[in-house]
Amino acid sequence: MIYLYKENFIDLLNLINYLLKNKVKPENIKNEIYMKTLLEETYYPVIAEDKNLSERIINKIGIESFLIVYYVFLSNADNKELLIYKYLLSSLKYKNKIRFMRNIDCVNECLKISKYVKTEAHKFKGFVRFSELDNGVLYSQIEPENNIMLLLCNHFKRRLKNECWVIKDNRRNLVGIYDKKECYILDSDIDIKKFDSEDYYEDMWKEFYKTIGIKERKNDRCRMNFMPKKYWKYIVEVSDNEKSSV
Amino acid sequence: MDLKEKLVILADSAKYDASCSSSGSKRKGDSIGNTAYSGICHSFASDGRCISLLKILLTNCCIYDCKYCLNRRSNNIKRAIFTPEEICTITINFYKRNYIEGLFLSSGIIKNPDYTMNLIIETVYLLRNKYHFGGYIHAKAIPGANKNLLNKLGNLVDRLSANVELPTEKGLKLLAPNKSSDKVTEIMSYVNNNRSTKFVPAGQSTQMIIGATDETDLDIMNKSENMYNRYKLKRVFYSAYIPVNKDKLLPSINTPPLIRENRLYQADWLLRYYNFKVDDILDKNNPNFNLLLDPKCDWALRHLDEFPKEINKCSYFDLLKIPGIGVTCAKRIISSRKYFSIDFKDLKKIGVVLKRAKYFITCNGKYFISNSNFKKDFIEYNLLLEDNNSNNSSGKQMSLF
Ligand code: SF4
Repeated sequence: MIYLYKENFIDLLNLINYLLKNKVKPENIKNEIYMKTLLEETYYPVIAEDKNLSERIINKIGIESFLIVYYVFLSNADNKELLIYKYLLSSLKYKNKIRFMRNIDCVNECLKISKYVKTEAHKFKGFVRFSELDNGVLYSQIEPENNIMLLLCNHFKRRLKNECWVIKDNRRNLVGIYDKKECYILDSDIDIKKFDSEDYYEDMWKEFYKTIGIKERKNDRCRMNFMPKKYWKYIVEVSDNEKSSV
Repeated sequence: MDLKEKLVILADSAKYDASCSSSGSKRKGDSIGNTAYSGICHSFASDGRCISLLKILLTNCCIYDCKYCLNRRSNNIKRAIFTPEEICTITINFYKRNYIEGLFLSSGIIKNPDYTMNLIIETVYLLRNKYHFGGYIHAKAIPGANKNLLNKLGNLVDRLSANVELPTEKGLKLLAPNKSSDKVTEIMSYVNNNRSTKFVPAGQSTQMIIGATDETDLDIMNKSENMYNRYKLKRVFYSAYIPVNKDKLLPSINTPPLIRENRLYQADWLLRYYNFKVDDILDKNNPNFNLLLDPKCDWALRHLDEFPKEINKCSYFDLLKIPGIGVTCAKRIISSRKYFSIDFKDLKKIGVVLKRAKYFITCNGKYFISNSNFKKDFIEYNLLLEDNNSNNSSGKQMSLF
């Protein structure tokens, strides 16, 4: 049986709690938009939301071990829900030691994925590129592997607190919007077409970028290691020539 | 001259400084900007180096004539000077677009050290107090400038640095006759004695040019160790000498000594994070690093009597001595082995670079193949083989920054 949940973290925790309580072993866990194949059966149990659930889990396994679960949830890993289920199942036994049990496959897997999500979020704190729209709003587009919108919004609302900005995740049609006071994350497919006005400072930055590399030390392999091609699309300083070659 | 052209000139003359780090500061921020303690890289240049800060000179005019420097007085190049306002505008506009973490401002010496230092202070002061910029600022202290100025600047910036440039006084006399290492160490000790959460919170760093003079790696590492101990430097940067000028006092090389530079960085890490001393890794009979093997492997091979180490028993510091095990892995091993006994496949999960580590360890008493293979020749041969498989012969730059 494949169990379904509404696509949010709390709902997933509630479902897993329900499965553990009733000692049901799911074949898989997927969010409600999952397209099942002919041979699969899905079930969407009605569960009364348990308000204090996350708090109780945190009390039991500690915030560090709990955050790992949250980061895995943000990832685009294929069977992340089932992994989280297995991790929480093992945590019944290992409690707050769960995050040290790397010899257990699901724990090792969760640690790896959560690290990957955190690393990607960290990289994007650097790789996000804003352009200034005519009305002064800063606008950027990203296509990260994982859903790091919340992590980015938390970063930029401290850093650019007196600016209005928008971050658009084109892979998920999510936008993060900040209006100098509050930050909102919405589903949206708004598309701000690349306005034609030239950005003086963007040109300047491109020139700076070209200048700062030392040609006697040219090292493409090293650059690609740190700034993989999959991130180049919105990195304005990488020239279109380079983007289309390699 | 328009602003873009100035920027190109003054970034071009600043690019040889290796430092671009934006770490070590917990500035809460002002109306625009804050800092991230771990630092953030915003881009990577064509040479693979991280771009974190707007790295520019205030001016490339200079009254000095250091032989190795593009900006020396006797070079006939285009000169430019930024006004403090211009620097602020570029910084803020780059920062808003998330191109940078902040500013790294250095300068050629114009008129005299105090005058130059005053211009730097004016710029940084404006940025902090008129533009309310709370991002990262790294400024160069000008050797020979008045202590009061140093004090003023230190209260505005996150990081200060003064470059020693060459590892020995003899080298300086030869190539930078206007400079003396005393003036640089004066700055270092002043900063060290006054450091606080308000004054140079991210600490100080310095840079040495590698291969412009004939120092050995031992000379260089001794200098570094000495500065780390005396002035609590955060970082020493090593910059492979790149020939930009022709001069009979300069070595004639075509390519910068990048592998040597990499070895120095690796050894520097061993000093700062792995509890090694210079004496452990180099000595009078071995004054230079092995270009074929990294310093830790090289050390381990020369000290095989200390190996193999048992993963489930040896101390944290012993773990750090094992090639292929870094600080993160060592910590993970310590925390994991409390709960289960570690074997080779667990090590892989922990993130240990087994292709190096396996020669130097046992797991629950077992060596990875027959014990009879634990011999210097066998290990050395295989390590060299591994190294040449995974590195192409050109730029061997590792993820160190
Ligand atoms: S002081 Fe020496 S190294 Fe510095 S800019 Fe002037 S000539 Fe170059």
